[in-house]
Amino acid sequence: MKSVIEILKEIRPEFDFAASSDFIADGMLDSFDMVTLVSALDKNWGISIQGTDIVPENFQNLQTIEALLRKNGARL
Amino acid sequence: MTPIQTPSQVFDAVQSAKAGAPAFCTNFFPVESKLRGWIDHGELFAELRNGATFFFRKDRDFLRLYFCAADVAALQREMVARPCVQTERVITDLVGKGPALDDLASAIESAGFRRHTLLQRLVRAAGPESAADGPPVGFAEKADSQAVLRLIESLFDHYGEQLPTLYEIESAVASRQILAARSNGKLAGVLFFETQGLASTIRFWAVAETFRDLKTGSALMRQYLKIHDAVRRFTLWVNANNENAIRKYRHFGYAPDGLIDRVLARGLIPT
Repeated sequence: MKSVIEILKEIRPEFDFAASSDFIADGMLDSFDMVTLVSALDKNWGISIQGTDIVPENFQNLQTIEALLRKNGARL
Repeated sequence: MTPIQTPSQVFDAVQSAKAGAPAFCTNFFPVESKLRGWIDHGELFAELRNGATFFFRKDRDFLRLYFCAADVAALQREMVARPCVQTERVITDLVGKGPALDDLASAIESAGFRRHTLLQRLVRAAGPESAADGPPVGFAEKADSQAVLRLIESLFDHYGEQLPTLYEIESAVASRQILAARSNGKLAGVLFFETQGLASTIRFWAVAETFRDLKTGSALMRQYLKIHDAVRRFTLWVNANNENAIRKYRHFGYAPDGLIDRVLARGLIPT
């Protein structure tokens, strides 16, 4: 199983996600990337992230993404 | 259709379509600053239907349609039932990777829409760029706004590509998002961009016909890349049939990333 940061790196290899506390403000993820990321997270953890959770504040940094995964049933 | 008065009305309407919708589908990715402009100018309307919310933005002589739906079936059912969609000149678009859009496109086409054009996204990683030559390039000024609008409108399809309004250009000029090349005091070309953190998107790169082959476009692009030396990711959308533009972008290191934007039209628009 991949880690969140590995998945992010696959989607946007040009960015250092570990160095950012706000992926959205830093321009690292846009709306289209979020959709791609949700699909990859669903597949990796065998979950289905709810549509209502696909909002920028849940993708701001590693902590918010991990909280989103836990909320949707992933065991990290 | 109900006029939208505040951005929170938009987000509430989106949430109402999302609630309990695991197959939620949308083409609406609103940015609050843009929403405010549309709302302040009375351009944005909404309609809440059973399982789908539609947003209409008035743009020149047509409506641009955005949707949020519980699933593709709800979208198809409610689009067919919308009198406005059936009688007005309407444009909508779908962004994604090729075949993944087929179901959504079929649903929209069943409401009478036809394919109008196809845009593709190009991306460029950070990298060095040689010094600019050609005519002098600087930031556009407020007095340039009308000329910038005329130039963009003369070179781009206002149905297929989301062209800015005059107020959007004035705002972009004030935010130093438009580079202008001048020759003998005339506006020879512009490069309109939006930068967020480490990412930057070119919205329009345009050179007036009388200033072509004079390195005008090259000077604009090199200046743009020079002032964005901290940016790690460059993106843009280009008409997939515009081979000339794609060749020029490739020259500066851009390449397709597989994301496409299918633009569909309904009404009196030649396709």
